[in-house]
Amino acid sequence: MTATPTLTAPPSPSEPEPAPVAPRRPRRWWNSREAIAGYIFVGPMVLLFAVFRIWPAIYGIVLAFGEYTLRRTYKFVGLDHFVHLFQDPIFWDALLVTFIFAAIQMPLAMIVSLGMAQLCNRVLRGMGFYRSIFFLPTVTSSVLIALVFMWIFSGAGPVNALLGVFGIEPVGWLTERVWVLPTLAILSVWSSFGYNMLILLAGMLAIPTEYYEAASLDGANGWQKFWHVTLPNLKPALFFVLIIETIKSLQTFDSIFVMTGGGPARASYTLTFMIYDQGFGYFDFGYASAAGVVLLIITLALSLIQRKIVGKND
Amino acid sequence: MSETMTTVLPDASPKSVRLKRRSPSMRKLGRLLPLHLLLILIAVVTAFPFYAMVIISVQPGQPIQMPQALFPTSISFDAFIETLSSRNIPRWALNSTIYAVVSTVFVLLFASMSGYAFAKKKFPGRELIFWTLVAMLMIPYHLTIIPQYILVGDLGGLNTMWGMLVPTLANTSAMFLMRQFIHGIPDELLDAAKIDGAGEFRIFWSIVLPQLKPILATLATFVFLAHWNDFLWPMISQTSAENHVLTVGLNTLQEEQVPLATIMAAAVISFIPTFLVFIFFQRFFVRGVMMSGLK
Repeated sequence: MTATPTLTAPPSPSEPEPAPVAPRRPRRWWNSREAIAGYIFVGPMVLLFAVFRIWPAIYGIVLAFGEYTLRRTYKFVGLDHFVHLFQDPIFWDALLVTFIFAAIQMPLAMIVSLGMAQLCNRVLRGMGFYRSIFFLPTVTSSVLIALVFMWIFSGAGPVNALLGVFGIEPVGWLTERVWVLPTLAILSVWSSFGYNMLILLAGMLAIPTEYYEAASLDGANGWQKFWHVTLPNLKPALFFVLIIETIKSLQTFDSIFVMTGGGPARASYTLTFMIYDQGFGYFDFGYASAAGVVLLIITLALSLIQRKIVGKND
Repeated sequence: MSETMTTVLPDASPKSVRLKRRSPSMRKLGRLLPLHLLLILIAVVTAFPFYAMVIISVQPGQPIQMPQALFPTSISFDAFIETLSSRNIPRWALNSTIYAVVSTVFVLLFASMSGYAFAKKKFPGRELIFWTLVAMLMIPYHLTIIPQYILVGDLGGLNTMWGMLVPTLANTSAMFLMRQFIHGIPDELLDAAKIDGAGEFRIFWSIVLPQLKPILATLATFVFLAHWNDFLWPMISQTSAENHVLTVGLNTLQEEQVPLATIMAAAVISFIPTFLVFIFFQRFFVRGVMMSGLK
């Protein structure tokens, strides 16, 4: 913010430099106006970053090994929180719920996004219209989506009414333990498939048509072309979508907070919800941070595994 | 969805290619019609929640009976009038607007400044600083939000607009995108300006920034929507009701058992800016998604 006035200031009075006769040797950096300008330009961002990202990240890890009281004192407790965490059935349940949710949401998201990209790849005319509609959920607030879905999946809501037409008994989508995670997964896929679809579609459009022609000459059918031409060439885009979807599914929070509050009977109590609940429900910052460190380790491990797979195949 | 693929793929077979050659337009129509019908069906399903939101908001006081509720016989804007005249909702809308607009302006400024320096300026530690910032993207937000809360609390920023706003300005992905884009600006252009005697800030302001218009528009769309829709941090950092943003306020309405039509009217109001930004800046949004996919 302090940079704004300086930006409008007149340029520093620098004499027009004479044309360089010979390439000059690089000056020491503290004399170099370029370096100083570089530091000034990155200054605001680096400062904000150090204060509001790096410091909290370090302190988050420090908190996991200590006790923070509301009187702002910190006491080191070593691995106590982690020992407690690994003995806490709530933690193991939360971990299990997190992985089950990811296991439902991820394949569903990948199949829907890939199917939609393939479908849109066939029909490029009128894409603008369809794209607008498929995109709208991705730009809409998750709270708003959650509120509308609560009604859609409520006892007397449209989904149960539609099932009733086929003589199926109403289902407690958000009140029965079995159905909560699939319902949240549907919401998650609905709200993000437009984005993933576009990334995959961009990848598909970049595949040279010659590949398909060559496959046709070899007598490949549609499925074989999809399997042997589209999928291998789409690998970078697919892994990009896979990575962002993984991270997103591990960190799903807003919809759970609004729709179920972790319930019923902790059936949607994920690791992120546990971090929030321990942190801002019980103000046990140390314990919540320990759970946060576990989330960090899982995120890093999954990203590394995915990167390894990409690296091996490329 | 696997059905989708099997119905789609046969069209790519050599047979259909040969048929196409004989009578292109009719064959093409016959081939594409089922696909369009399928796409329209999916579009209807996708758009349904938005339809439901609007339909409920214009039928206040009605018992919601399933098929009838979706095809209203009478429309009333009472829920909207009630919503807009209530004490808090216009206030929440104002907070959301300030939060989204001010953040967008400063994120664009700081991200383009730092992106410019990382792309075009040489200074010791450049790569180290840059990759440190990018690496921090891996840290889950939920781990840092507690220390961020403590920090903002210690700085006296809880329940203030700046306390909510300032921590969100360190947007590394915006900076990363800017750096990639600024790499593409020819050095000759900057050198020419330098020879003409322009200072560093003049070069940035009058040469670099105008070149960045397309990417600035893209980023502005993303950042605005992200802040307008933000929930967790505004909820944690703003405890008093008049400091809520719309998303947080909407959730409190639901917790207070306000009638569904009123909640949906508030939802429609909070959706309108999203919708307008999306409609008018759609191509920038699409470009942004494409760029994020191509890395």
